[in-house]
Amino acid sequence: MPEIVQIGPYRPQLVEPERFELLVENGKIIDVNIELGYVHRGIEKLFTTKTYMQNLALAERICGICSGVHTLCYAQTAESVMNVNVPERAKYLRCIYMELERLHSHYLWFGVLAHSLHEHDVFLRIMGEREQVQDLLEYLTGNRMNYLINTIGGVRRDITPQKAEKIRKVLKNMNELSNYLLSLLGENGTFTKKTRGVGILPKEKALNLGAVGPTLRGSGIKSDVRKDDPYAAYGELDFEIVTEKDGDAWAKSLVRARETLESIKIIEQALDNLPDGEIAVKPGEPLEKEEVGRAEAPRGELVYYIRSNGTNIPERVKVRTPSFMNDFTLIEMLRGDTLQNARTIIESIDPCFACTDRVTVVDAKTGKKRRVELK
Amino acid sequence: MTEKKISVYRFMSAGCNGCDVQILECLVPRYKLGELGVEVVFTPEEANVLAVTGGINVKGKEELKKAYEKLKPPKLVVAIGNCAITKEIFDKGYPMVGPPDQIVPVNFYVPGCPPRPQAIVSAIAKALGVTLEEKEDYWGTPEGFRGKHEFDSEKCIGCGACAQVCSSDAIEILENGEKRIIKVDYGHCSFCGFCQDECPTQAIKLTREYHLLTDNRKITHVTNEVEMFKCNVCGTYYAPSRQIDWAVERITEKVSIYREYSVNLKKAMEICPNCRREIDNIRKAKKLLAQLSSKAQTRYN
Ligand code: SF4
Ligand code: SF4
Repeated sequence: MPEIVQIGPYRPQLVEPERFELLVENGKIIDVNIELGYVHRGIEKLFTTKTYMQNLALAERICGICSGVHTLCYAQTAESVMNVNVPERAKYLRCIYMELERLHSHYLWFGVLAHSLHEHDVFLRIMGEREQVQDLLEYLTGNRMNYLINTIGGVRRDITPQKAEKIRKVLKNMNELSNYLLSLLGENGTFTKKTRGVGILPKEKALNLGAVGPTLRGSGIKSDVRKDDPYAAYGELDFEIVTEKDGDAWAKSLVRARETLESIKIIEQALDNLPDGEIAVKPGEPLEKEEVGRAEAPRGELVYYIRSNGTNIPERVKVRTPSFMNDFTLIEMLRGDTLQNARTIIESIDPCFACTDRVTVVDAKTGKKRRVELK
Repeated sequence: MTEKKISVYRFMSAGCNGCDVQILECLVPRYKLGELGVEVVFTPEEANVLAVTGGINVKGKEELKKAYEKLKPPKLVVAIGNCAITKEIFDKGYPMVGPPDQIVPVNFYVPGCPPRPQAIVSAIAKALGVTLEEKEDYWGTPEGFRGKHEFDSEKCIGCGACAQVCSSDAIEILENGEKRIIKVDYGHCSFCGFCQDECPTQAIKLTREYHLLTDNRKITHVTNEVEMFKCNVCGTYYAPSRQIDWAVERITEKVSIYREYSVNLKKAMEICPNCRREIDNIRKAKKLLAQLSSKAQTRYN
């Protein structure tokens, strides 16, 4: 007899805590229902009540974890609306800040993965080392998160040679951390045992469902906005798009681990080739037009749309976040898998956080509820 | 260190997740949360402290109530981050029904966006009545950190530019005739720093202060007062005295030929916009200025 199992809604998550209703029979998941909305804040409406500049702070607060790339993507789109040319130095600086963000975001995800696999020591080590990136971001931008470093026309703070030295030092340590992550995913690695073969997303399904970012690349598809449609200074920097072909939770993890090494490579190159000059120009008046911009957030392709009526307040701003796309691949991945694996699968798309351990099982016939623990 | 065991349950609705991550970061040994006897638990039933983040939307409201009910005594609620204090930048969002203290009783507020883990840890310590060791490398902030605001009352001209550019409606301009009050609510602020960037006299600064814990969210503000100037013609207060001086200075600085007329320029500025609008030609203006000079009325009398 099938049972309905509820996960959430209170598992703090990237876009929102959400409720998963799983229809389970004999430990196998037969169907999935996703319910969103616990974090809905009416942001797109709010965008049309603030000026282009003020909206930077709003865009950033769509997601605290990938806050930087939201301001970047928003600023780039607004720059097209205003016909602004960003100085070369600012473009390189943007790459540095955004890759630092990718590092902390990916590391955080590994921390959370460890947490949910009950690997407490691994969790502490990853999160402990990750603090260096947070400290660095605070030192460079003035805040650990929601750094508001990008502005329309460039960036708000420069990187002096002294700061560059500090970045390089931290990168050296992060290189070690990334290699440690790779070892956890190697043969007999702690993560490998628990993630191999779990939650497989086949290539065609990934494409059909519109997966993005590491979720897509873990299914063997080479797609990354930084390469496909280069922005900032990515076109001038040498790096690889990481892909893995297996499509399981393990492949997605491996993609992220290898990506952190690419990020380190990008930052080092950008520091070596940092052009001289201004870090920002004053933006002009918004023109009457509409623009679309995209960027590669840690979780995948992020899209902004702005329609301007020529005033200093946008008429419409539309945001499509990567997790919104990836969430729906979960239905595919969860179907047919076991209840035991549900949590690892949900985490594999990087919804940022461990779900609360609480799961309620509703007997589909009697409507009676009982709680089970997800291991 | 303490016998009281603190079990924290995290609850988030309608925030950006930033604060929630900071709570998770507190678990790192560096922040010594464990030493205080604090653990983070996964169900409200196991917890006696509720850490709420986010401004709470229609969907989160009932869930918050439920979580609060399940809490074990002493049922402490800590609102972490400005969303949980005032809804911050999402204040006017249509699905917002918070802040949390409109739904459940809140004992402590930790301002910040997001607050540093150190601020959260010390807030919990304070709630426990424990004092933490002050170590520079642990508590210190780097230069350029964006914390609580500070006014330089010598410099502030009361123009209100900060309130205009503020990303979160955190700055209010209050007027009571002879005084204009600039009120910055750092519990409503996103710490974007736009006010600091746009202030024409560098009078407002974001300092490195971040220990902002309070049990009263009505007091999370910094204010500055400036004196208002009375129109020389009709006698109504219309602009801060300092702003008038500042404007005259800027004009004569930028357009050197006006320097000779700076006295008259000042006299003209000392008439409120309403009265100025009533002057319909140059001849009338000259006459009025002459009259004002002969009356020798200055604002210092
Ligand atoms: S207070 Fe700031 S960091 Fe915290 S949830 Fe709100 S927007 Fe995010
Ligand atoms: S830093 Fe200043 S401008 Fe920005 S939200 Fe706070 S008060 Fe407003």
